[in-house]
Order: sequence, then structure tokens, then C-alpha cells
Amino acid sequence: MLSSPKGVAIAVILLAVAVISVVGGALGAAFGGGFLGGPVPHLQVPSELVTYIGDYALYNTVVMFIAAIVVLVLLAWLATRKISEVPSRWQSLMELLYEFFIGLAESTSGKAGRIFIPVATAIFLVVLFSNWLGVLPVVGNIGRVETTSEFFFHKFEGKAESEGYAEVLDGLHHDVGKKGEGMGAYLASHADVEEVKKLVGKTFETYGEQDFVVFDGEGVRLLPFGRGNDYKLSLVDVVAYDVADPTHPTSEEVVKIAGRIDESVAPDSLPNTEFFSENPDKYPSLVGKRAGILVPYLRGSSTDLNMTLAIAIFAMVSVQFWGIKTLGIGGYWDKFIGNPFKRNPIDLFVGVLELVGEFIKIVSFTFRLFGNMFAGEILLIAMGFLFPLIGMIPFIGLELFVGFIQAIIFSVLTLMFGAFAIMPHHHPEGDHHGAEEGH
Amino acid sequence: MDALGIDLSRLLTFLVGFTIIAVFLRMFLYGPITRMLDQRADRIRDSLEAAENARAEAASSAERVEQELANARREGQELIAEARDAASRLRDQEAERTRAQVDEMLDRAREEIRRERAAAVEEVRREFAGIAILAAERIVEQSLDEDAHRELIDRVLEEGLDARNN
Repeated sequence: MLSSPKGVAIAVILLAVAVISVVGGALGAAFGGGFLGGPVPHLQVPSELVTYIGDYALYNTVVMFIAAIVVLVLLAWLATRKISEVPSRWQSLMELLYEFFIGLAESTSGKAGRIFIPVATAIFLVVLFSNWLGVLPVVGNIGRVETTSEFFFHKFEGKAESEGYAEVLDGLHHDVGKKGEGMGAYLASHADVEEVKKLVGKTFETYGEQDFVVFDGEGVRLLPFGRGNDYKLSLVDVVAYDVADPTHPTSEEVVKIAGRIDESVAPDSLPNTEFFSENPDKYPSLVGKRAGILVPYLRGSSTDLNMTLAIAIFAMVSVQFWGIKTLGIGGYWDKFIGNPFKRNPIDLFVGVLELVGEFIKIVSFTFRLFGNMFAGEILLIAMGFLFPLIGMIPFIGLELFVGFIQAIIFSVLTLMFGAFAIMPHHHPEGDHHGAEEGH
Repeated sequence: MDALGIDLSRLLTFLVGFTIIAVFLRMFLYGPITRMLDQRADRIRDSLEAAENARAEAASSAERVEQELANARREGQELIAEARDAASRLRDQEAERTRAQVDEMLDRAREEIRRERAAAVEEVRREFAGIAILAAERIVEQSLDEDAHRELIDRVLEEGLDARNN
């Protein structure tokens, strides 16, 4: 590579990019560099609301799930468009997939294993494309700015729901609607209500440290390059910086907070200019900037627990269905408990454990996929921080690999659970004799 | 649940979406692909069987050809042997005939010779008789009854010839 001038040039450029990315990234920021470091992106486990379609709340993971479905429909069309015994490329790719699963199913369950294939392969394809689409560069970076008011509204609403304050919730929906406009006005007019005060406190308790990103006044919709933590504030910093104890606000303090929340409602008004102007020494670069969180329009659907839970439920319901279909409802029940009075206590205990295990499998399916993919997303963001220009590249490859492995794990495990489910319960002969002799 | 973001509306969205795509893939991808895989497997099995049959047929026809060849070879051999037999028989016959002819010719020749010799002997005897008579005439110088003498001489000659022949 270094023998030709071209190779040397490429090596020098790569080295320069590497140096720039190290100096400009988070590592360099400690030594006065960090000119490429972006603001800390907003990270949260629940998926983010993009918009409302009528009454339906469209979340960013749902958008990506629909994208994955579209890709799969396209794939099915490509693979079966000119189906023939001499396969096209797409067809042979799909044949490879199905042959792999058919081989696996028939090696564990024989011909009966064919019933697993449609579900197992659907899980594989959906999970695979959900994972892979989540790694695409635009995913997670492009979005809209959720203003302080919207953010506060959603969290307040969530708290009211989980605390069971139905009356507050009704009033909130009546006064504010769904998009959070006028949240400040609602808070100001209900500042005396004890429940509202409590909910405000609880919101700060949970989300007070929530990172807010400060954007340019123009309302940037792309996660900007910037100077790292200089551009970061917490929710308390933005709306409750002078409240003594935000987790237990007084009525006056709620009114104060309410006023600041509403400042960010109007699209062209800058939030909390008062705070920024009052503290020019602390945040010199923030004066006249807009605070909020960046809600990505797109987020890999397998980073949403709802999605992984849905597929896990589908998989385990299918497993139960296969078991009952093959063994009959009595035969399948016999695998677990059967007749509890005729079974010896140890078998009974094991059976109960196995029955509970069926539900645990849903949980393990859910969190295995979610954990892997969510961690991958964070890993990519962290790499984007440490080495902004090149850091992500190897990890994108890693994430593609992890996405593939997770898809294989999910689908093959489903198939294996199915294979166990259709195996008839084996009564150990010795146990019966032992029980009879005992009487 | 709240912190994890699990809520029923999204869960149902994903569940319904997944069910739809699973059914779609079952109908439009799994169905055609596995049908095609099975069809191809059948086709391959049929082709293998056909090839096996063709091979068996080829083997049996090769055997038949071999047999035919063997037959032909045997027939050829038989023909050759027959021809050889015929030839030798013919040669023997010919030889036989030739020998017979030769014998016949020899016999004839011998007969001829005997006849010639008999004639010669007759001649000689006649001459000799004359000569003997002449000689006797001369010896006795007397006229003798020629016929009586001749008879005597014949007898003598006869005896003499018989003695010689024996």
C-alpha cells in the first residue's frame, strides 16, 4: 500500500482524519479540542412520539417498523417475482433462508417441524430488518425539537396516569389537548391544586436531570455539531433554576415554572431567554438559544420494548399453539402439571416451574433483543462522541453482525421451544412403580 | 412500565403489524418458495430415477450386445470348423478317388504288362519251340513226327514254365 504515491496519500489522509477525529472528539475536549463534539443526544428507553395521526399517536419506532415491513414486502416481491426452478439471486437467497430453517426444524422434529417454519422465518426476517434499518445513518439523528412545554406535558401526563389521578388527567386533556400547547397556562391556573403540585414535584423528581439540548434559535432539526457539554442543560436548569426544592414546589413556584414553560410554546420565541440572559457568565454561548430535546423521527424498532414484547408474545403464543395442536390440550397440559393428585411432588414442582418458565421466556425474549439493540444504539452514539468522523464505522459493522445474530437467536429459539412443545411428556416408568409400591 | 415505555396502544400496533407481515410472508414468500423447493426436489428425484433407469437399460443392452457378439463369434467358429471339416472331407474324397484311379491305372498297366509278357512268353515259346525242333532236327537229323514232338515239347515247356513260375 505504501509503495505507490497514491497509497501514501491515502494513508496520510486516513491518518489525518483519525487525528482530527480524536482531537475533535470527546477525548480532545478535555485538552481544549473537541470542536467536532456534538451535544449529548437525548437518550431514553421509551420510544418518542413523532406526531398524531388523528387520535393515533405515531411513535418513531413504529415508523421504522413500517419501513421494515415495506422492505420485507419488497423482498418477498423480488424473490417470488420470477419464481422458477432455476432461481434468481433473490429467490436463491430466500431459498437459502428457508432451507436453513427447514433443515433445522426437520433435524429436531422431523417432518412435523415444518409447522414452525412460517413463524420462525417471519420472526427472523422482521427482527433482522428491524435491527439493520436501525443502524442506517439517518436513524436517530434527524428529528424535531420537542419544546420544554411539550416535554413537560408528556411527562406530567405520564405521571398523572401512573399515579391514577384520573381527574387531573381529564382536566389536562380538556385544557391542553394532546400536543402540549398551553401546558404553562394550565399549570398556572391549577397551581393551587394539591395533586397538580404533587405531580409537578414528581415530574422533577424523575426527569429533573433529563438532559436538554440547546439549539440555535432557528430551530435546528439535525443533531448539530457543537461543543459537547457546553450545550447541555437539565430540565431543572431550564425551568426551575431558582426554585429551592423542585421536587416539592409551592404554588408560587409552580406559577413561576409555568411561565417559563409557556415561553417555549410559540415556535419563534426562545425559551428561557430570561435564564440565559440572567446567567451570561455561566453559559455564555447559550444566550439566545433554544432548549428542548431532539425527538428523532426514526428509531430502530427493535429498540422499543413494545416491539420486542409483541414479537415475544407472538412467538410464545405460537409455541403453545403448536404444542396443543400436536399433543391435544390434555397431552400438552400433561407436560406441565397433568393431574396434580396423581403426580409425585417433585414432578409437580418441576411442572409448575416449567409453566412459569413459559412466561419467563417472553420476558427473556423481550429483554434480550431490546437490550442488545438499545445498547448497540448507545454504543454507536458513544463512538460518534469519542471519535466523531471515523469512530462509528467499525461499530456499524459490529451492529450489523449483532443484529443478524439476534435475529438468528430469536427465531431459532422459537423453533427450539416449539420442538420441545410438540414432544410428548415422557413418564419415567420407575416413578410409577415407586409410587405404587409406596401405597 | 411507564419508565420502560410499554403501553397497550404501541404493543397492539406491533402485534397487529407483526401478525400481518407474518401472514403475508406465509402466503407470498414461504408458500411459493417451499412449493418451488419441493417441486425441485421432486424433479431431481425423478431425474435421478430416470438416469438410474437409463443406466440400467444401457447396462442390459451392453450385455445383450456382448451376448450377440459371443453368439456371432461362436457361430463363426462353428462355420469355420464346418468349412474346415468339409474341406478335409473333400480332400479325403479326392485323395480316395485319385488313389482309386491310380490303382485302376496301375491295375490296367499291370494287366497290360502281364498280357504283354504273356504275349512275349508265347512268342518266345513259339520261337523257342521252333528253335528247339530245329535244334532237335539237327541233332537227330531225322524226320520226326512233327506233331508228336511238338506235343512233347509243349509239355516240357509247360512243366518248365510252371517250375519257373512256382
